[in-house]
Amino acid sequence: MGFTLAILGGFGAVIILMAAYGYRISAKTAEDYMLGGRTIGVVVMFFFVLFAISSAWTFYGFPGLLYTKGPGYVMFIWGSVAGFAGLYMFLGPRLWALAKINRFLSPVEVLGERYQSKALRLILSASILAFIVPYIGIQPLGVGAGFEALTGLPAIYGAIYTAVILIILVLLGGMRIVAWVNIFLGVVYMSALLGSLVWVVSVLFPNGGLVQAARIIAETRPAMLSDPGPGGTYTPIVLGGTFVVGILAFSWPHVAIGCMTARDKSLFKWFPLLIFVFGGLFFYILPFLWGSLVAPAAMPLAELEALAASNGVPLQVEADRVVQTVIKRTLPEWFGVFVLLGVIAAAVSTAAVQLMTSSVIVSRDVIQGIFKPGASDRQITSWARWSVVIIVVLSLGVSALNTGAMALYLTDVSVPGFAQWAPALVDGLLWKRGTKQGAIAGTIAGVVYLVLSLLIVVDGNRILVVGHPVIPSLLLNTIVYIVVSKLSPKPSEEIESQFFHEVDAYLKAESSGR
Amino acid sequence: MIEMTRHTAGRIYLIALLLSIVGFIAFLVIGGTGVPASGVPILLFGWMTMPLVLGVVFVAFWLVSYIVYFFFFWPYK
Repeated sequence: MGFTLAILGGFGAVIILMAAYGYRISAKTAEDYMLGGRTIGVVVMFFFVLFAISSAWTFYGFPGLLYTKGPGYVMFIWGSVAGFAGLYMFLGPRLWALAKINRFLSPVEVLGERYQSKALRLILSASILAFIVPYIGIQPLGVGAGFEALTGLPAIYGAIYTAVILIILVLLGGMRIVAWVNIFLGVVYMSALLGSLVWVVSVLFPNGGLVQAARIIAETRPAMLSDPGPGGTYTPIVLGGTFVVGILAFSWPHVAIGCMTARDKSLFKWFPLLIFVFGGLFFYILPFLWGSLVAPAAMPLAELEALAASNGVPLQVEADRVVQTVIKRTLPEWFGVFVLLGVIAAAVSTAAVQLMTSSVIVSRDVIQGIFKPGASDRQITSWARWSVVIIVVLSLGVSALNTGAMALYLTDVSVPGFAQWAPALVDGLLWKRGTKQGAIAGTIAGVVYLVLSLLIVVDGNRILVVGHPVIPSLLLNTIVYIVVSKLSPKPSEEIESQFFHEVDAYLKAESSGR
Repeated sequence: MIEMTRHTAGRIYLIALLLSIVGFIAFLVIGGTGVPASGVPILLFGWMTMPLVLGVVFVAFWLVSYIVYFFFFWPYK
């Protein structure tokens, strides 16, 4: 126990020291704090984004759902790989150029100016914050679950430890240091994920490795090796819907803001290569193997059910920590601690970027954009910093009330919520005819429908959900956006020039200058 | 993305990616990742389940398409 706590203390100290160093060298401007001075290169960006999207969910929630429902949930990953790459291939260059030319600091600010609407800016800010804040809280709570599984101490201690690290890191460091710390955290995370997988497989399945694990599952739970999985959850319709939900990853606000921190345009040429090769063909396969093959072969379902019963928690909650449980039973204690560090790294790397994004929106879009337009650079940086503390406390409170499974919270609530600004974002950047009336009407329609569809339950069924919560709400949002835009006066020529012609000219000039 | 729609290579690239998404979903709908008629799940190399195989093929297709377009045809390269 003492060894575990000492290691955790040292790990936290390293992160805090890095944040303090970042504070010392930072330029103390809003641009530097919020967007890392727009100096992030391709390698740092890759770690920054990959580990911003790879949270405690990747270590716990994702394998946990694979363990109970079968391999079909991996369709979310394949869709996400396409979505993230699509963001950087299709929208990224324009978003980056627009922000750089006009000194925009937030993606919501880009849209507020594109549509010339403070009301839309407020609506988008409120909508994004409403769905991102609970997700931030899931990260410390996810760590708490692993902490409890490893040490036996109450989960709240692990959650508080993670929350304190998060607050100090974001408060002091800002976006640049969050990006740099993500490299350190990413290396720890990846080593833990890959190292634990290789070691557990070599210990438990010495005669064939993954092939032996697959043979064991074929004998004990053969439905785990194909769709629709045990229980028949992943029907073709659900599989297709899960894949589409994954594609919507391009609209995650904490990923979209990454485009605005890029040093130059060449990043958008190289970044997808890393996403495909390292993310799609390597990194995300690791938790898939953990949840779909290794954990089910290492720990029979009946055993996990008994464990869940003895711990007094639902099966899915116990499944969320099955990886940690298998590691604890199989490997030396010191490695279990290292894996917990990996999970903390995953949680902090994601929540820190989400926190940064939230604080930028609160400070730049809500406070300065709506209430204090004349605020100075120093003031908005200060507001951004202090909003971090409020957001963390709020997110922990909201998440503590939500006792559902981690994986489903991401795909059923957060992703549909993030997606509601997608029509305004995509059409605002790519469609000259999109109007503020269309963006406001579409966003409100989509968010209201989504909230109602999640809240209205009749006989145990969400009657307004068709296939998946995101499908009807996003469809309604998009249709309303297009129809209302067509019916309202088209944007002025100044807006068209600023948001389309100038951007095209800038990107072309950047190209010819090379 | 606007720049891609303005030349032939870009249009082909976008259509190829769109078709790969349609094909992916179609493969799911016809039950390509389910249990075959034999009743024994397909395991490539003895451990790769079909949901994994399908995803790897999909990502590999996007990777090759992206390399060809972005390194040879992208107007802003």
